[in-house]
Amino acid sequence: MYFVGDESHSMAGDAIGAVNQGLIDLRDEVAKHPLIGKKVRFGIITFADTAQTRLELSELNEDLILPTLAPRGRGTSYSSALDALRQTIPGDVALLKGSGYQVHRPSVFFLSDGQPTEKEDKWRSRLDELKDPGFKERPNILAFGVGDADATVIQQVASAPRYAFMMTEGSSTAGAIAEFAASMLNSMVSSAERLDRGEQTIEFEKPEGFVQLDAPLV
Amino acid sequence: MRLARGPLTIGEPAPDIDVRLSGAEPYRPDAIADGGTAFGLVVRAASVRGLSKRFAGGPRQDDVCLRVHDASRMVIAAVADGVSGAPRSALGAALAVRHATAAVARQLDGGAGELDWRDVFDQAAWALVEEHRRFAGKPEAGVEETCESLATTLVVAAVRAPDDGTAGARVQLAAVGDSPALVLSGGAFSTVLGTPGDGLLGAGVEALPRFVRGVCEAECTLEPRTILLMCTDGLALPLAGGAGEVGRTLARELATPPDIIDFARLLDFSRSTYDDDRSLVAIWP
Repeated sequence: MYFVGDESHSMAGDAIGAVNQGLIDLRDEVAKHPLIGKKVRFGIITFADTAQTRLELSELNEDLILPTLAPRGRGTSYSSALDALRQTIPGDVALLKGSGYQVHRPSVFFLSDGQPTEKEDKWRSRLDELKDPGFKERPNILAFGVGDADATVIQQVASAPRYAFMMTEGSSTAGAIAEFAASMLNSMVSSAERLDRGEQTIEFEKPEGFVQLDAPLV
Repeated sequence: MRLARGPLTIGEPAPDIDVRLSGAEPYRPDAIADGGTAFGLVVRAASVRGLSKRFAGGPRQDDVCLRVHDASRMVIAAVADGVSGAPRSALGAALAVRHATAAVARQLDGGAGELDWRDVFDQAAWALVEEHRRFAGKPEAGVEETCESLATTLVVAAVRAPDDGTAGARVQLAAVGDSPALVLSGGAFSTVLGTPGDGLLGAGVEALPRFVRGVCEAECTLEPRTILLMCTDGLALPLAGGAGEVGRTLARELATPPDIIDFARLLDFSRSTYDDDRSLVAIWP
């Protein structure tokens, strides 16, 4: 799982504070849970005008020292973050497989409080590369917008509309970010399998000779 | 003299957790075990709750069912893995295995030699639809809605005991979803039904009732000293094709049929990160 976080200057103050606290809380919650810690590897990539890997994939345990995020640079480049993901994921997956693990499709939790300050084509084409069906290890992307983030853009970054979330009117950025961190934890805890939705609905009727069973079930 | 206690550890042990009683409706015991001999075939079956359910207090969502058909000297077995995202899928798995084995038996009653798998899976899938309609009070509810609640994989095998003098038991199998059937022979596992995936985990699960038209079929002959195995991915994943520690342990412990309870104990091995429900049926010809 990758947390991809906005470190542009608009995040200064409460927002970035909430991110840092959220990461600490996440680590502590996972460390307390007996089963999740070993099943998850967590990485952090931040972006402002450039992207930086702040945490290589690590186990979330009480010994983990988390980086402190801080506003930097000039501008908000989604393309740098998306490109960083595209570059790092194959090697990360290969490393885990090489260590004998069976690996789930990676999840990306993307958080931004503003619009990309770059040409639209630039981040769109990086996004297309990341989402390319030919990219075997393409991640499931959940995108969260707070502050001045653009709802349409957030929806496009996400893998599906139901994976895009915007901060609600009237709520605080810090509050929204705390909820975001909780949702990262939740997705680690509830490993409920997804149903394959398939392509179309099928017509299906009662088969001939269907017999109800009488006895109650064990 | 004390009873031997605790599961077998294979590799890094799973953490010690407080197990929560499930105690929900319908009643689903944490673990079940079955076994015995029919027409010279030796059968063992078990289904155990995974650690993640034991920790959370959720029900076992896998199930198995066995059936003996005297007239055709056949043992029928079914294994199902309720999709964990579907809230009543424990019941879905239970219904699927019972209806599938009953449907095979009815076909055999009618003198069938080659099984009509489509009919078997239609019956199992329809049982889910009927249950959903009953539970939701919606007589017209369809497949989509049923899936959200009761979705399950299903793998079914019908094994005919060899007639005296001929070696080899003929096996007909069919499946929907990722619960595989394998043959263990000389310490090596080969997949008869199912995809030994090399890719990433976490694609959506193909399941009944939606994938009722996606039945895969296979046949094989079970030679002496080989074992037919049907399992859910709670075992298939740690087994990982059979080449590693889990495969070696199973191959060793299944060389001769274990005691019924020991078989369940074996299935319940402790191995870090593998905390899903597990089910296994093993048949020795």
